[in-house]
Amino acid sequence: MAFVTTVSKMAGLLGAILLALTGAMLTYEVVARYFFLKPTIWAAELSQLCLIWGCLLAMAHVLAIRRHITVNAVTNLLPQQAQRVFAAGALITVIVFCAIIAVYGWEIFYTSWERGRTTGSILNLPMWIVELSVPTGFALLGAQAVVELLRLREDGTTRLGSSHE
Amino acid sequence: MTLPLVLVALFGLLLAGVPVAFALGGIGLGMLIAGGFSPLMAPQAILSTLDGFILLAVPLFLLMSNVLLKGGVGRDLFAAVQAWVGHWPGGLAVATILSCALFAAISGSSVATAATIGTVAIPEMIQRGYGHRFVYGLLAAGGTLGILIPPSIPMIVYGFVTEQSVIQLFLAGIGPGIVLVTLFVLFAMAHARWFGGYEAVAKASRRERLRASWRALPSVGLALLVILGLYSGAFTPTEAAAIGFAAALVITVVVLRTLTWKGFREAVVESAITTVAILLIVAGAKVFGKAIALYRIPQDISSLITNTIDGPAMFILVVAGVLLIMGLVFEALSMILIMTPVLLPAAMGLGFDPIWFGIFMVIMVEVALITPPVGLNLYVIQSVARASLGDVARGVWPFLLLMLVTVGVLYAIPDLALYIPFKW
Repeated sequence: MAFVTTVSKMAGLLGAILLALTGAMLTYEVVARYFFLKPTIWAAELSQLCLIWGCLLAMAHVLAIRRHITVNAVTNLLPQQAQRVFAAGALITVIVFCAIIAVYGWEIFYTSWERGRTTGSILNLPMWIVELSVPTGFALLGAQAVVELLRLREDGTTRLGSSHE
Repeated sequence: MTLPLVLVALFGLLLAGVPVAFALGGIGLGMLIAGGFSPLMAPQAILSTLDGFILLAVPLFLLMSNVLLKGGVGRDLFAAVQAWVGHWPGGLAVATILSCALFAAISGSSVATAATIGTVAIPEMIQRGYGHRFVYGLLAAGGTLGILIPPSIPMIVYGFVTEQSVIQLFLAGIGPGIVLVTLFVLFAMAHARWFGGYEAVAKASRRERLRASWRALPSVGLALLVILGLYSGAFTPTEAAAIGFAAALVITVVVLRTLTWKGFREAVVESAITTVAILLIVAGAKVFGKAIALYRIPQDISSLITNTIDGPAMFILVVAGVLLIMGLVFEALSMILIMTPVLLPAAMGLGFDPIWFGIFMVIMVEVALITPPVGLNLYVIQSVARASLGDVARGVWPFLLLMLVTVGVLYAIPDLALYIPFKW
């Protein structure tokens, strides 16, 4: 269990770095366009790739630290035991959702991999580089949700997330 | 028959504490499977959401404001504004509103704006004898400016889901934003005149003013750079956000020398967490939106509305009422993402401009968030100020009325929003 949480944390850190990197790339793009009069061909596409991977890699860690936006106003009114039941139900919903998305996401990835589909953009990257992010991210999130479900009995926190960002 | 079922299932999951992103995505996925549509559409919708170039602006604007925040810019802004207007009647209150407005121009979130300025302004004002309730109301209202004055994360998201220009939305927020700032400032001064009771601040010397302004100047310059760059078309919102992030680093590392390595790391991690929380809801809403479109639910609601609701004014009142109820438990983004796809077709059918409707939604959502007895932003002020919810709720009323007046003016004179983006 600690293993999954550690992997999520590392993936979260990697995701955060990828998101910050987009800033560097796009700043370079604007500077290249206005000062060197030579726009890049890679900045927009690679920063988009970073956004996709960054978000999907980091979402498991965001669950572990309970920061997904969640409506707590109603469940907060319930006694502790009932809150735990609702939290378990919510986690099971997340697990089922992740499992289905991961399986179909894998199918999308695998088809592109087999057929060698590419993005058709300037860089013409293989599609699977983008699409692999969905099964990876949701498998990790699902695994983290299972860990949270198992920990629910000993752990005091019954909220799955915060009410605002 | 499907519509009530979908609504019950959706709100059931949401209120049971399933995170908003997964409640929306889950219902959408369930509807796809139940309706015999390919479930492949769900992961595709998630991918196509994150593939939106405009949404890259979300992490970048967050990085920009978090870096400035860790560099202590909130305190600098408040000090600078206070040096200029602190000696006016109700000077600290005026300074609070104006610094909220300035901070709003570098931050896209109302919670961040209220929390940042609040931590500096609340203790100062209480110490000077301002009434507690007035102070709390002031901050709750000032926070509203965060998402009305560009940049604004809810506007980016609204623009993304409705395929409207984010630049036009940003520019449309300026007019109503200025009206709100003016009303809040006038009220703060009038309140000081009538009720007094506070200890006035001495007029700052020329030297103090210059010194305080000097520290705030780079941040104000950055806000101007972003908005002018967008207005002139020099860069896209996403590029503006990237430049803003880079400039924020230069300001806090080179000019002010206030950003530590630890502060930078925290800013990067905090921005990532918020980005994921926000963009996953957008992705979930996209899955949901796809499913309800296949069931033709927006069209059904649209015809239901046009058949039962008599005219645009009634429609606006009903929407306002629904948002007020949702504001009891939902935050701004979820409200906008759940309601917009359902309401916009009807609104456009009634002749509302989609940009205008976006601005109306943003203000109304903020009104909903501070309407007593329960509103999410009331809790934010409560926790920042360590006050009782009752005091916060009672202090907020006059500001709430001013905001409703602004909504009324916006309805009567749509150009308040539409003049700057379309006619200037």
